[in-house]
Amino acid sequence: MSWLFAAVPRGRVAIFRTIVYLFAAADLVIFTPWVRGHATASADLYQPLLVARILHLPPPTSLMITVIFWALLVTALAAATGRFPRALGWTVFVLYFAWMLVAMSYGKVDHDRYAYLMALAVLPTCGPARWRDREPSERAGWALRMVQLAVVATYFLASWAKLRYGGPEWMTGSVLARAILRRGTELAHLIAPIPGVLIGAQIGIMMFELFSPMIFVVPERWRLRMVGFFYSFHVVTISMITISFAPHLVAMLCFLPLERWYDRLRRRRAAPAASVEPPIAAASR
Amino acid sequence: METLSRSSRSIRVIVTTIVCALLLGGTLWGSDDDFPFGPFRMYAGVNPPNEPAPDPRVEGVTADGTVVLLDERHTGFRRAEVEASQDAFSKDPALLKKVLDAYEERNPRAAPLVEVRYVNRLHEIHSGRPTGKWTDNVLATWRVPR
Repeated sequence: MSWLFAAVPRGRVAIFRTIVYLFAAADLVIFTPWVRGHATASADLYQPLLVARILHLPPPTSLMITVIFWALLVTALAAATGRFPRALGWTVFVLYFAWMLVAMSYGKVDHDRYAYLMALAVLPTCGPARWRDREPSERAGWALRMVQLAVVATYFLASWAKLRYGGPEWMTGSVLARAILRRGTELAHLIAPIPGVLIGAQIGIMMFELFSPMIFVVPERWRLRMVGFFYSFHVVTISMITISFAPHLVAMLCFLPLERWYDRLRRRRAAPAASVEPPIAAASR
Repeated sequence: METLSRSSRSIRVIVTTIVCALLLGGTLWGSDDDFPFGPFRMYAGVNPPNEPAPDPRVEGVTADGTVVLLDERHTGFRRAEVEASQDAFSKDPALLKKVLDAYEERNPRAAPLVEVRYVNRLHEIHSGRPTGKWTDNVLATWRVPR
C-alpha cells in the first residue's frame, strides 16, 4: 500500500501542474480546434455519451461551446500559475471534461486522453506546491501515481482491447496498412510496401503494450529509459500516421524527476554568473 | 515530510479501487459510450490481411463542375464522425444537407454547391501491404434543391 503513496517532492507536482494546465489552454487553440466546429454541427448528429445522458446535459449550442471555450482558456492559464490550486483545479477539470463531452459526442471517441483527464482530476488534491519546494509529500505522491497508473493502463488495456475486438490475429492483420492508407505520411508510404515490416510492427506494438506495466518494477534508471522508449514510440506514430496522442504525452511527464531537471537548469544558469569575477573586485587586487 | 492521515489514505484507496474497477469493466464489457472508462480500442478492429481499406470522403460539386472536398477544415466534421453516419447517408442521401449546412456556414462566400456526395475509396491490400490500387464507390448522391 505504501507504494501507492510513495512521497515525491512537492516541486515535482508543481512543475507538472504548470505544464498540464498550460497544455489545457494549448489544446483548445492548437491541438483540438475542431471541437469548436461542433458549434455549427446539426443537433441531429449529436450522440450524447452515457455520462451526458446520466447528467441530463442538453445538446451543445453555439453559445454554450463559446462560453466553455473562453472560461476554460482563462481558468487553465490562471491555474498554471499555481494559485488557488483547489478552486481553479476543480474548475478546470469540470470545464475540460465538459469540453471533452462536446468533442466526443458526434460519433467518434478518442482514446488519447484518459491519463490527461486523470491528471486534471487528481491535481486539485495536491494542494499548494511551489516549483522550489523540495519537501516530500504523500499527497503529491498519490496524485502522480494515479497518473502513472493511467498512462500504463492506456497501453496495457489497449492490448486487451485489441485481443477483445481483433483477437490474436490482430497481429497478422492489415490494421497498420489501413492506417497508413488513410492518414499515412510520405515516409510511411515508402516503408509500407517492404515485406514483413507492418506485420512485424504490429507484433512489436502488442508486445510493448502487454509488457508496459514492467515500468513499475524496474530500477529507476531503467524506468527513465522505458519512458524514453514510450516517447520514441509516439515519435514514430506521429511521423508515420500523424497521430500525436499529445494529451497522453503530457500526462506521461509524471514519471520524470522534473524538479531535479529544474534544479540542474537553475545551477547551470547560476554557474556562469558566479564564475565571472566582478570587475571592481578584480581591479582592486 | 507531508504525510496523509488515516482517513485521507482510506478515501484515496477507495477512489483508486473504484477507478480501476470502472476502467477494467469498461475494457472488458464496455464501449465508446462509456467514455472516459470505455475500452482503449484505437486501431483494435479486425482487419484481415487482404481486406481493402476504406478511405471515405464527402465532396461537393459546383455549377461549373468543380469538385470541393468537404473535409474537417471546411465543415468542422472529422472524417471518423462523417464515417459514423455512412449507413444513414446511404439510406437517406438528403442527410448530406447537414454537411452542406456546416460548409456554407463556415464558407459563406464560397461558390454554391449543386450536388453533395459521399464517396468511399477502397484501397487494395494484399498480405497486409497496400498494392497502390484503389476504386471509388459513390454511396450517396444528393442534388441540392435551389
